[in-house]
Amino acid sequence: MSRLFLPSLVTVIFLLESIIVQLVSQPLFDVYLLVPRMLLVFIVFITIFIGQTEGMMYGFIFGLLYDVTYTELLGAYAFAFSLIAYLIAKAMNVLHKNAWTASFFAIVAIACVEWYVYAIQLVIGGTTMSVSTFFQARFLPTLFIHTIVILLIAYPLKQTLLKWHEKRDESSPV
Amino acid sequence: MPKFFLNKRLIILLVSIMVLVALIGFSLKERNELSWMEKFVKDTVVFMQSIVHKPAQFVAGFFENVNDLRHTYEENKRLKEHLEQYVLLQSEVESLKKENERLRELLNKKESLRDFVAIQATVIGRNPDRWEETLIVNKGSQHGVKKDMAVITPQGLIGKVRSVSPFSATVQLLSAKNRQNRISAFIQGDENVFGLIEGYDEEREALLLKRIPYDAKIEKGQRVFTSGLGGIFPKGLFIGEVEEVVADEYGLTQIAYIKPAANFYDIDDVIIVKRKIEMSQEEEEQ
Repeated sequence: MSRLFLPSLVTVIFLLESIIVQLVSQPLFDVYLLVPRMLLVFIVFITIFIGQTEGMMYGFIFGLLYDVTYTELLGAYAFAFSLIAYLIAKAMNVLHKNAWTASFFAIVAIACVEWYVYAIQLVIGGTTMSVSTFFQARFLPTLFIHTIVILLIAYPLKQTLLKWHEKRDESSPV
Repeated sequence: MPKFFLNKRLIILLVSIMVLVALIGFSLKERNELSWMEKFVKDTVVFMQSIVHKPAQFVAGFFENVNDLRHTYEENKRLKEHLEQYVLLQSEVESLKKENERLRELLNKKESLRDFVAIQATVIGRNPDRWEETLIVNKGSQHGVKKDMAVITPQGLIGKVRSVSPFSATVQLLSAKNRQNRISAFIQGDENVFGLIEGYDEEREALLLKRIPYDAKIEKGQRVFTSGLGGIFPKGLFIGEVEEVVADEYGLTQIAYIKPAANFYDIDDVIIVKRKIEMSQEEEEQ
């Protein structure tokens, strides 16, 4: 596995978020608005299994890319992603690193980001969605889908990241 | 208390929150153009996206094709019926067009608000965070796209260009919640009724056509078009049909709910519309 493996993997995930939304943009059953948050899941896993610096770096860079290309609301995601990476890194000082804690933190992170962006949109007047509509039509379905996906990919993703990390440490001259 | 403020992390956090608020304020400001850095990043991402987009669309297209095949027979039957009407309509349109041209020549008025140049573009992405419905298309200022141009699909108007970089543009859909999203439109009838499209009702999935005179008689099913009076949009782009008319909160004007003709979800290709009249004016200025 080359050094470029992880950056390119995260880039592809970043690009796919937008493409998937474009291909399947119809709300599910005309009610549920699903939001892809796989990029955030990757950032959480990178923070836990590779390191705080990498996690915050990926969070900031890809958050900023997200802001510039997709939402045109500069800073919102860059701040959220790097803060989440930082807080999770601090929490991991006292917790065991395994697939379960990583999945748990990934789900918590998605929940936090959803509420955070909703709050920003409410403040700047970008939406008039009521809290109950947001909770039922957007928040719960998104969280539900991601919980399933995270439980499916948590273990393989952890193994891949650890392997890449080991390989990189071996190859890099210290 | 002094110790509290000496905490380095806290200071960093506070400073970054301040930067965040400043940046959000900066991006909310009405900007005529993106900064060169944003343009560069956007074009790079769009370039990579168009590479990843092709295989992804191929896979999605396969399932769609299977679905299409199942309905082919019914569709074919329906289309044949339409075809007969279409021939009649076409001959009518031809004769009207000729008459129009002749009358225009008589009046010595060559251009109309209706004339436009179409720029074909492919949608390669959509805002994944889905608060503001925007599309990313693969044509930019190098192809002649400008801010605020109208964007249509064959079914009807879907939105306008929000920002442009050299090789890509962001399209804001009509369903986006934005107070700047204002379009001058008219309801076609014996007497055309003018109004402004302002806002979108998410629950009814209808556009709001406001500022209609209180005494205007509007019926359900009447068709709504852009009026071309707002500046950049050409005249006569189809928006949708009237669903319901209600009095506004003060009873001075009426509000019509318009069912948009275009589907805001399943969009693959769009047409960016450039009005001819404005171009000639610009040339005169130069």
